[in-house]
Amino acid sequence: MEQKAIIALVQSVLAETRGFDGYVIVRAQSRREWGMRLSNGHFERVSTGADNGFGVQAFTKNGASGFATSDVLAEGACQKLIEKAIQLAQRNEAIGTKSNSRIWEAPQVVAEEANPAQKAFGEIPLAELEKMVMTLHSRLRDAFLEGVWQTSYRQVEEIWCIGRTDGTNVSFVIPRAVLMHQGTVRDKGKAQSTLSHRSGVDASVLFEELEDHALERKALDRAEFARAVCGAPQLPSGHYPLIIDYGLAKGLAHEAFGHAVESDHMKESVLGEAGKLRKGLRVARPGVNIIDGPLPGDWAYQPYSANGLLRQTVTIVRDGVLEAGLGDVFSAEEAGMPVTGAGRAESYGHIPLPRMSNIRLLVDRLLPLAPLDHLMDEVKAVRETLIQHGELIEGEKNLLLLGYRGGQVNPKTGDFVFQCDGIIDVADPTLPIYEPSIFSGKILSALEAIRGGLGEGCFDAIGTCGKGGQSVASSGGSHRYLLMDADQQVSLGGEHA
Amino acid sequence: MKLVAQLEELLYQAQHTPKKEELRLSDWRILVHESEAVSLGIKDNTPGGVYTPPSYRQGESGEVFLVWADGKCSQAMVQLGSDDDAGHWQQELAQWRQASYEDPDAAHIPSPAPVTLVTVEDRAIHAIFSGDGQILFDQVKRWLTDKPSKAKMQGSIQTAWGYRHVRTSTGLAVTYQQSQFASWFSFDSLIGGGFAKRRLSRPEEQEGLWARTLNLYEAMQIVAPPVGPHTQVILAPSMTADMLGQFILPNFSGDRVLEGQGAFPKESFLKNKLVFHPHFSLLIDPLRPLELGSYLVTAEGVPAVRTVLVHDGRLQSPYLRIKDSVRWGAKPTAIPQGMAGLYLKHKEEIPWGEALQGVEDGVLVLAVLGLHTQEAVSGSYSLSAPHSLRILKGQIVGKTDVKLTGNFFTDLVAPTTKAALSDLDTFPYLMITTGVQTL
Repeated sequence: MEQKAIIALVQSVLAETRGFDGYVIVRAQSRREWGMRLSNGHFERVSTGADNGFGVQAFTKNGASGFATSDVLAEGACQKLIEKAIQLAQRNEAIGTKSNSRIWEAPQVVAEEANPAQKAFGEIPLAELEKMVMTLHSRLRDAFLEGVWQTSYRQVEEIWCIGRTDGTNVSFVIPRAVLMHQGTVRDKGKAQSTLSHRSGVDASVLFEELEDHALERKALDRAEFARAVCGAPQLPSGHYPLIIDYGLAKGLAHEAFGHAVESDHMKESVLGEAGKLRKGLRVARPGVNIIDGPLPGDWAYQPYSANGLLRQTVTIVRDGVLEAGLGDVFSAEEAGMPVTGAGRAESYGHIPLPRMSNIRLLVDRLLPLAPLDHLMDEVKAVRETLIQHGELIEGEKNLLLLGYRGGQVNPKTGDFVFQCDGIIDVADPTLPIYEPSIFSGKILSALEAIRGGLGEGCFDAIGTCGKGGQSVASSGGSHRYLLMDADQQVSLGGEHA
Repeated sequence: MKLVAQLEELLYQAQHTPKKEELRLSDWRILVHESEAVSLGIKDNTPGGVYTPPSYRQGESGEVFLVWADGKCSQAMVQLGSDDDAGHWQQELAQWRQASYEDPDAAHIPSPAPVTLVTVEDRAIHAIFSGDGQILFDQVKRWLTDKPSKAKMQGSIQTAWGYRHVRTSTGLAVTYQQSQFASWFSFDSLIGGGFAKRRLSRPEEQEGLWARTLNLYEAMQIVAPPVGPHTQVILAPSMTADMLGQFILPNFSGDRVLEGQGAFPKESFLKNKLVFHPHFSLLIDPLRPLELGSYLVTAEGVPAVRTVLVHDGRLQSPYLRIKDSVRWGAKPTAIPQGMAGLYLKHKEEIPWGEALQGVEDGVLVLAVLGLHTQEAVSGSYSLSAPHSLRILKGQIVGKTDVKLTGNFFTDLVAPTTKAALSDLDTFPYLMITTGVQTL
């Protein structure tokens, strides 16, 4: 479905709710996806798909809500869905649910945003995309014959329209594309896998990669590193001065701080007190800032919330002090923060939740680091820069954690766990490599331990956030590396039994 | 006109009387789901709040797999459009053709085989959709009435019912009804319990789950002595499932084995290499009535069969979709539905109550942080498990925070590893000796 058709659908659904004395939010979405996966030189899968549908969230006049959704757009389906949503809202009111009438206070917004993609979804024919991806995959295999390689490419276009009883009608297009190389490397009887990606909004990522082969270089470097990790010893568990790359820093900012300031979590968040954001709390040293907001051209770009409000850029931590949260229209006030348009949903079939877009962890105390083409050259440059500026902590290991494999946080207790691809001791001139082990501890201690940054800002660490069982694109980053002091509440893994 | 009927008509015509010769099919397969679902949640002790309202979902969508006359393949997701005009589907067909690719091993649609019947539909769930869904509201009300007064409760109930249609050009035409019921709850986001089957839960199951969760929650309020280096680690059934899902199941996926991306090479399967202790067996069983992992035919139209992955500790077979089975030179196998349908068996399993009595110094791990970040191929883990429960002299005595380091393959091969049966779960408690430290 095209943007105009979706807008018309939303308007027609809203028109059918005119007799209802409550409030209705209608979300319609049209999603197209092309994907392909190559493994060891041949196509494993090429798939196309489309999903169109809409959801109706109805509120009784007292603020009890019900939700109904369908991917059937046939005649009669709209009326049935509206009736279902209203009926469920009324049932909900009857069981004494907690009412929420905040949506009546939301400002009316009318906007129709143009598609930010440079190349329209179908502009490059699928057959041509297949050829380009095969070329990239084959080059990679030829360059690293000992690895088992999978290459995948996915491009998605989501057209959204959100309409509300107050006349709000917001429509926008979210294009996304990602190229990924996954390698499995074996050495000394052990296996390690590695994943590198390049993301953007459209098929331009393939053209760019064919031009500069930046992802290929990264994948090859990571494969060499993974091979070294296969034979690497395990690090004794302990508390060390750390240098984390921007992927891990994004993980820390996203999992540890972003989720802890989402307005629906405040009752169980370590950054909340009596259900309110602990505004003014010093959580880091002066000069540390955490910012969340959409960036044009980014993997997680979304200009409006799924409730039809403008998405704002929020400084969560300013100069080490907790300043603001990610406020959704339904819970921001109760959580003691302004509404920032933070509601996002996986699809028309999901209820929006407050969540991040692109989150960045930045520091004022910055050491220069010129980006280099190869990983180990960059690691050497990190060591040299630290020595030059007297930042290498003498007499102990200074461990550089490379690669973000994901993580998890309990926002209630503040416990976090992250995993990396491997570890390098930059205090040792031979740069010994160690097996990955968990980077864990308490989130407030981790933030307090940040003492500086190395290199320019890199904000393209992408992922998929799974909050509430909904998969939504997320991204973010930091300076190329962050420096952290050793802290008794932040540790690296342990030895095997 | 139903989606499955529209697709059948389209693909039959493209096979026998195509509008354009380049759009001629030699074979095809259709999978369509028609479903309705209702759900209701609890957030922070509030039923049906704005983030977890009572919800209804209706859907009719599926996928097609096509083999063109020149042997190329295509696959696509499909859904019922706003209109069912032939022009729309012809455009789709042309796009699917454009997306075709060479994959000779996949270009194979088997002839229909006899289907073993298994019950996958609970009529009581169907009644929820034809009635008012009161059962969901009653359950939520009961939870909130019975919960510990100080606990902050989260929870959800979901139920679904619908049709599954599978059609192939070789003559398979299967349509059956299936249902699903899932519920979970937690106290303070620390201790929880869940149920998921193709039937409603029985009162005794609800009571058992509630009582167990309540006991664990009470124990969690007491601080227990820390673990020592020789403390036995016991994985709760849900943890056993999580560990199997992270480290074992991916390594039994046929495509990963064939591509050299799994922990075990193909030769190890052919030689029936010993990889677990001989007391352990692992199987996929889609023929257990009303279990979540049960089905009549796979998405590819292969009738359900029991498939043994590991027998007495020895590798038998990976699970094989049609394409992988062609490459492997065997018949397609059963396919797990997530972790549902997978069963781990131990020859000397004893009931959990009995096993607990014999634990002098142990820690019961209910959940860990960061399991999904661990390397599936190596089997190594380094995990933190805050809010575990200490066991001393056969009694759960309180809460402790631990860190685990080890290798799950080593755990499954160790003679010291034991399993204990849970009457509320399909996976056992796993009692292992591994690296454990205070967090």
